[in-house]
Formats: sequence, structure tokens, C-alpha cells
Amino acid sequence: MKFSYNWIREFVPGLTQAAGPLERLITMKTAECEGIEETGALLGNAQVVLVESVEPIAGSHNVKTQIDAGPLGKRTVVCGAPNCRAGMHAVWTPIGKKVVSGVESDGMLASASELGISRDHAGILEVDTIAGLVPDAAIEIDNKSITHRPDLWGHHGMAREVAAILGLPLTDPAKLELLPEGPAAIQVMIEDYALCPRYSALVFDNVTVGPSPLWLQYRLTSIGLNPINNIVDLTNFLMAELAQPMHAFDADLLHGDTIFVRTAKAGEHFRALNDESYTLDAANLVIADAAGPIALAGVIGGGESAISDKTTRVVLESANFQASSIRKTSAGIKLRTDASMRFEKAQDPLNTVRALARAVELLPLVSPGIRLVGGVADACGPLAAPPVIELSLAWLARKLGRTLASGEVRRILESLAFTVADMDADTFLVTVPSWRATKDVGIKDDLVEEVGRMIGYDSITPEAPLAPVAPPPANPARRMQHDVRNLFVDNGYTEVYNYSFLSEADVRAFGMDPNDHLRVLNPIAEGQELMRSSLLPGIWNNVKENLKYRDSFRIFEIGQEIHPNETGLPSEVPHLIAAVYDRKETGLFELKRMAECLLPGAQTKPAQGREYEHPARAAEIHWRGELVGRLFELHPRMMETGRAAILDVNLARIAELGEAPTKYTPIRRQPSSAFDLSVVMVNRQHAGDVRSAIAEYANPLIESTNYLWEFALPDGKKSVSYRITVGSPERTLPSEEIMAIRADIIAILRELNYELKV
Amino acid sequence: MLDESIQELAAGALQRIAMAGTAEELEAVRVEVLGRKGGALAEISKGMGKLSPDERKRIGAVLNQAKQEIETALDARKATFEAVALAAKLDSEWLDLTVPAPGPRRGHLHPITRIQRELEDLFVSLGFAVLDGPEVEDEYHNFDALNIPADHPARDMQDTFWLSGGNLLRTHTSPVQVRGMERLKLPLRMIAPGRVFRNESVDASHEHTFYQLEGMMIDRNVSVAHLLYFMKTLLTAVFQRDVTVRLRPGYFPFVEPGFELDIQCLICGGPGCPVCKQSGWVELLPCGLVNPHVLRQSGIDPDEFGGFAFGLGLTRLVMMRYSIDDIRQLQGGDLRFLEQF
Ligand SMILES: [Zn+2]
Repeated sequence: MKFSYNWIREFVPGLTQAAGPLERLITMKTAECEGIEETGALLGNAQVVLVESVEPIAGSHNVKTQIDAGPLGKRTVVCGAPNCRAGMHAVWTPIGKKVVSGVESDGMLASASELGISRDHAGILEVDTIAGLVPDAAIEIDNKSITHRPDLWGHHGMAREVAAILGLPLTDPAKLELLPEGPAAIQVMIEDYALCPRYSALVFDNVTVGPSPLWLQYRLTSIGLNPINNIVDLTNFLMAELAQPMHAFDADLLHGDTIFVRTAKAGEHFRALNDESYTLDAANLVIADAAGPIALAGVIGGGESAISDKTTRVVLESANFQASSIRKTSAGIKLRTDASMRFEKAQDPLNTVRALARAVELLPLVSPGIRLVGGVADACGPLAAPPVIELSLAWLARKLGRTLASGEVRRILESLAFTVADMDADTFLVTVPSWRATKDVGIKDDLVEEVGRMIGYDSITPEAPLAPVAPPPANPARRMQHDVRNLFVDNGYTEVYNYSFLSEADVRAFGMDPNDHLRVLNPIAEGQELMRSSLLPGIWNNVKENLKYRDSFRIFEIGQEIHPNETGLPSEVPHLIAAVYDRKETGLFELKRMAECLLPGAQTKPAQGREYEHPARAAEIHWRGELVGRLFELHPRMMETGRAAILDVNLARIAELGEAPTKYTPIRRQPSSAFDLSVVMVNRQHAGDVRSAIAEYANPLIESTNYLWEFALPDGKKSVSYRITVGSPERTLPSEEIMAIRADIIAILRELNYELKV
Repeated sequence: MLDESIQELAAGALQRIAMAGTAEELEAVRVEVLGRKGGALAEISKGMGKLSPDERKRIGAVLNQAKQEIETALDARKATFEAVALAAKLDSEWLDLTVPAPGPRRGHLHPITRIQRELEDLFVSLGFAVLDGPEVEDEYHNFDALNIPADHPARDMQDTFWLSGGNLLRTHTSPVQVRGMERLKLPLRMIAPGRVFRNESVDASHEHTFYQLEGMMIDRNVSVAHLLYFMKTLLTAVFQRDVTVRLRPGYFPFVEPGFELDIQCLICGGPGCPVCKQSGWVELLPCGLVNPHVLRQSGIDPDEFGGFAFGLGLTRLVMMRYSIDDIRQLQGGDLRFLEQF
């Protein structure tokens, strides 16, 4: 929201700080300022002049004018405005001399837009006086930082902060004594005071609708609002001043003399000022006359009862609505207005009549001859008494971590319009002002902020807490992930992070069903609608992108797979995915080694290739008897060039299995013996099967069985050699015993139809 | 006469040893002269039986001396040959050590991992537990338990990704505060680094997926002064230099009072520069004292315990640390970027 510096200064007459320093004070004490924008800068040197003569310039749509700038003398100015004519009064700004259309032009005749008064740039401003229009500065406040402050959505609220910060007096623009007495000219019926705690209104007649006076247009323009007509502009002015949204109805277009505040009927239609039609339901609060809705409460007025240049009688609404109801309606129809933005912050019900009083003062200035009709219509439910908070000064000092003089605390709270009474020597009874009581301030902790920000947090010295020394609880799962990262990085792998979103095409490419995925209901872009249930599509994409620049690389990611559950939160399963890409060679054995480094004793078991896997190059990784991962090459169809080997490991499963206990056995003193065996097998038989067969034999004297090498034989066969090491911790094995073991193994392998060269 | 023959033989042998060009020639000399059967010296000693005992003893000594001289010469010459042979062999094993070592180079940790670990280590050393929470959260933990009920305008501050099944992608790591209060015993100190999501369009400085580090301390009598102490300690470690911090009001429903913490611009040191938009300060993290509603919601008595909480933008910190100009690089998977860390 933008604040006009001059507007604030009207309420804080003692203000001497310029906009820049003021902005910094507001940032430190109240709310975050996002910047300052000069407005109406040209008004500084502008003056009203008489255009004495106008003559055309050949070959140009511009004209050459002679102006009388009073004490500054006569000047020649080139002007391009269509409304420029001799005898008019215009605004001249001395911005220097320059040649325009071949004529030396001294300064400029300005449009209202150039002067910053309005957005009107159709022609130059024709005006008799610009007295009171001076340069201003718009201070932009971050809306997020005033989400909790209904009062700061108006200039008077911000002025109160400024006055409190600087210790200056604050004036109040609302004079309640101006409100007319007597019976109102219109009735108000509120169906539910919870939804509409208060609805106040005034009726005016003898209204003239037309452009607003320049001071009003300028105020609105400088804070980014668009002047429309005098009546609408004034409602916007009051909203910007007092944070009270207002609405004006054309009284002659209303049916009956009663305004109803009720929930909409299901299916009820409403055409709004913005020419949109909305179908309403009982969740929407409407303002209605006898014929139907005339406004969507707190959000937008109706098109049928809008102010037009034919309007002569006006009903001015100043109401208070329940914040959550307005927010729901506004979100429901996807329309946020200046009014709804304020109401959803929980406005002060006491403010409705204040704004009407200010309207009574200002309307005659913008619509001369306007007359009040009747007294104030004011339907009001029971209003909550402002909360009274017990504030212990010792507690306050403990919270802030510094000592405080009670007089200073009192001064600060009173400057912010809290009422402070003494309960005892240490405790204040603090009454919250109505405009802070709706949502913002309710407990003593809220007062810590009021006092803290005003004394300045820079007055608090950092202090180490006294706390017992204790080791924090460990997080073994996270520790393990960090260890896995180290292992892979040390072995040449670079860590990537991928998004958690996938497209339907991504998941289909990996044989998954989009319906098995958690779906994003409001995705940011097409192709980001599914939550990843696999890290594969991400790493596949990384491989495809990086192979444009590299012939060979290694990457890995650790991230969550997300799998939906019937109820409750989905299962988030941390996975490791690693890829080795090479233009020619397979990285499968490298990844197999990584799997074995990560999971000592892991077994690689051949598996049926899935549709995205190389059909002859896929395996499962088993560890401690459980399936924990998969090792494969991507199907060549998935790769334009080169080979990508992938290792996918379920880290949650590994964490569950835990580390194997470390057990020490003394180093053997007896020498071991070894013998080699060469086994002939057909080409596609697995070398690992022989090892498994020997392992199954389970002779405790066998220390190890190691694959040595293999070479091809004719007829689609190969010879694979193994070295078997045998020994005993207690004794040296006699050669007969070793030979017996060898004979056993040979027998077992022959039983399995292996051919042995012995 | 025999003396002469021996000396002649010895002289001849020594000369041939000196002249020998190969180990084989040397061996030939050894066999010819010293060989037990048919060697020249052996032949001479055969004829010694005819001599008188005295003479035999004298010639024996001469013979022995000649034999020793020849053997010494043979050994010396052999050692020379061996040394030359070894030198030649070693020379033939010359290696070009400027050739690159085979095998992969060390890989690279993601920059976010690097900074996150630094901070984890720091906080663990200060007695904080490192907690994990789910990336998919329920409304209760992400909003309600943090004092952000359904119709609270503060929900607009965090554009939310909603999921089928009614859950959402956590918009901040703050729900882990709630899970921490549910799980850990009091007093507690915890941090929770992790991935968060906001429904925002992506450009060089905005991401829908980024990383935060949430921190919380709950104890008796926790004050703003304590919060300041921890933040200063944290940031001094992060930036590896003394930093000046300031607190100013900031609104976050789960803290009261709430602050924005700024650090004095590390580029210009205060006078103002483009990085700090001429203000001398850079907004770094939101923090505050834990709102009593939040404590009560998690079953903690706010009259007995209080605390502070903060949320550090890890992604932002990484970008500041390495002067990264495009946030999208962090999740772009481009090795040309990642290999720089
Ligand atoms: Zn700077």
C-alpha cells in the first residue's frame, strides 16, 4: 500500500522529517517500506498562466503559443495538446528551453497526467488555480508486513505510528459531532450480526456527479488510485484515510427504503460494477434491496445501483463485516478489491460512523450544494468490550532481555492509544484500542512487540542463554545420507538436485501409471502436475542434457520418492540414484562396485529387464537378504547416443536394516592353502552361480572363493577360473583333506552339469 | 718353475677378467681357471703330490693366493656387470608422470548440501538436534498449528501447492517446529533444513522449490536477547566474519513479537551499494519469540516455557555465498554449474 507523505503530515503537523528518514523510521518501528516515489514533482515550480495567443507551426500538429507567466514575463511555448487555445488558463512548468518543431520552446504547458494530478493526458490542464497542490512523496509499504494491522490500511493509522515514533501529537480528522441527529431516511436490517457486526449509512440528495476537485484527484493519483467521479473518489479517499471501505449507491435506483444484509440464496445472480456476473450461494454475504442483491458485501458494488452522472440522491454505506466471510467470498469469486483486502484484516466496527462523519465534512467540498437527508442509519450488533491485558513489567523485561523503566513503557503504550492503569507496583492493566482489538492485540505477548519496537530492538544486548550442556539427539538416517554423498563424491560422482514434480509423459516413459501419483491440483505449469514417485525421470533428464557437453560423466541424487496412501500423508521414501554415462563403455561394473562399497556383501542378482531397461543388462541388488535396489543400463531406445548405467537404492530400507555389528576374530596363525578350478560353461551362464553353489556347500574350512578370469572356448562356451582358499584356525590342513574338499566341490559342480577341466 | 706357471696363469686370468665384456665371458674364465674339474688351477694342484711337504705347503699358499686374487677380481667384475644391468633395466622402466592418472576425478557436492552441512555441524555443536519432516504436509502442521487458520490472510503470504487427497506441499520448514515439539522432550533445541515449495512463477531470482533451515529453542525464560545472541553466532559462522545484525518488526503469525533480521551489507559495509539497494542492510531471515498459541497448540504451557524460532533461507544464503546470479541453476542439473563447487 502506498502512503502519501503530505497526507500523513496533515495528521502530524509537527512532522519535520523528510520522507526518506521517515521511511527508515517506519521500517525500523512499524512496517517494511519498499521505497519512496516522488509524486507531483513538476508542481514545485508550476504556475497558472494565461495563453495569450496560439499560432500553427507549418508541417507540425504542434502549435506555437505566447503565454503570460505573470511576474516571470511572457514566454513562447510549443504545445501539442488538442485543447490548447488562446484565452485559456493553463499550467506552465519551467523545465528549460529546447527546440520543438523548429521553434524554441521555453518550458511546457502540462497535462494533469504530467503534473501527477490524475491520469488524464488527453490535453493540457485547464485550471484557474493550483493553490495547495505541492510535490508529494508516496511511501510504499509491503502489504505482507501490515497483514495483522487493520488500522494501517489507512493514512490516519500510519500517522498515529509516526506520531508515536516521533513523540508528536496526532490530530483526528473524524468529528463525530458532525453526524446528523434524528430518524434515518433509510432502514437497515442485518440478518446475522456475526457476519455483519455493524452497518451504518447516510442519505444525501441534491448531488451533482462530476469530476472531483484537483486536490482530491491528486491525493488518489499519488497513492495509485484512479479518479473516477467526485462521489466514488470521495469514498476511496475515506477508505485510504480511515481504512474504512465505503460504498455509494444511487438511491433512486434502489427498490424500497430498506437495506438488507443477508446471506445470498443459492443460485442467486449478481452483476457487479466490473460488469462481471456472479452466481452466489449461502457462503456469500450480500447487501440487498427489496428486488435483490445490490452489492457483494465488502467486496464490490452492484452495476445496477452504481453512481452515474444522472445520480442526484446517494446512499452512503459505511459497514463492518466479518473478516473470514469476506475473505472466503473474495477467494471464492477470485476478486480481490481494495475493500475486501481491508475487511479481511478485521476492521474496527467503531470506525463506520467515524468515516460517515468525515464524509459529512468533505462531501460539500466535492459536490457543492449536497444536502443530508435524515439522521444516521446505524444497525449494530453487540460489540465486544476491548480486552484488558495484565502486563507484568518484570515479565516484559525478561521477554525482551533488558531492563525497562515503567514510565517509558507507559509512555509508549499511551502514544499508541492504549489505556494504561496501575494494578500493582509491577503490573499495568492495559486496555487495547478498538482498532487494534479485532484480531491484532489480545495477549500480553502482543504488548512485548509494541514496547520492543518502540524502544528499539537495537537497545537489546545479545546474551548467551544459561542452558545445560547436553548432546543433541542423533539423526542416523540423515547421517547415513551424508555418508552416501561422501562415498559417491569421493568416487567421482557429482550431486544433482531435481524438482519433485513430474509430467505424465515422464512417468509413462518409465512404465508408471499417472494415476498412481499424488497430483498437484494447482500446478505452476504444464508438465509439473505429478509428485515424483521415482527419481529416474529426473536423472534421465540430467543425463540427456549433460551428454550434449560431455562424453563421460557420473552423477547422483538423493531425494524423496513420494507414494500416495489411502489416507493421511503419503509415504516419502529417500532414494539414492546414481548414473554413469559414457559414449561407449558401460558403467554397470563401476556402479556395481559402488553398490558393494555402499553395501558390503551386497549381491547382484540378474533380473528381467523392465521396458525402459536394457533387456540383457538388469539386476537386483540384495543386501542382508533383502531387495534394496536395482542396477541396469537404460534401454538404448531411451538414449540417442552412448550408454547410461543406473543404480537405484532405497535408502530407507538400508537404514532399517541398519549397520551389521562389527565382530573381531583373531588373525589366523595357521597358513591357508588354495587351489584353482576351471569350469566350462555355456556363454550365458552366470559366473556367480558357481560361487553360490560353493557357498551352499558351506564347508567351514573354505575361507573364500574368488573369480579369477575367464576366456572364450569354441562352440559358445567359456572357461571360468576360480581360486578356492581353505584353511583352519586350529591346524594346518593336510593335503589329503584339501584334496577331499576339492573333490567334493568338483562333484557338486558336476552334479549341476558343469564341465570341469581337471 | 711351478711358481712361474701359477703366476703366469693368474696374470693371464686377471687380464681376461679385466677384458671380459659380458657376464658369459667372465663365467668362461671362472670355469677355465677355477673349475674344480679341468680348471687350470685344479690341474696344477694335481701335480703337487710329487712335491716335498715343505714345497707343497709353500706352493699351496701361492696357489691359494692366486685363487683368491682371481675370485676377488671375478666378484668385482660381476658386481659391475650386475650394476650396469640393473641400471639399464631401471632406465627402461621410465614413466611419464605428466600423463593424467586414470580413473575419475573427485565429484562435487551440491552447493546447497555444502552450506546445509556447514550449518548442521554448527548447530549440532551448539546442542541443536537436526530433525526431518515430510515434504508433503497436512494443513494442520503447515498452517493451523502455526496460528494460521483457514481464513487467515497470512495464508496469502505463502502461495500453496495443493495436492490430491487434501494435503499440500509444505510452504516452509516451520511445520517441523510443530513436529519437533510433538516429539522431543523439553527444553529443546532443534533445526530442520529441507525443501519447501511455493506456487510462484520461476525466474532468475524466484523459484517454486527452494531450501530453508528452520530453527527453534524452547526453554524457560527465553528472551529477545538470547535470540540475538544465537543469530549473531550463526551468522558470524556462516559468513566467517563478524557481522552486525538488526531486528525490526516483521509479521509472522507463529511468532510474537516477530522480526525481520537484517545484516549490515557485507559488500559496502553500511554506506549503501546496489546489492543492499543503497540501504546498507540486507534482509536475511525472519525470526521471533514463539507465539504462545503455537506453544499451547503443541501442549506446552506458555507460562512455563517460551522460545524463539527462525527461518533461514538456505537457497538465498547459497546464492549470496557464491554470488550465483540465477536461482534456476541450482536445480538445473548442469554439470558445468555443479562442478564449480
Ligand atoms: Zn551495500
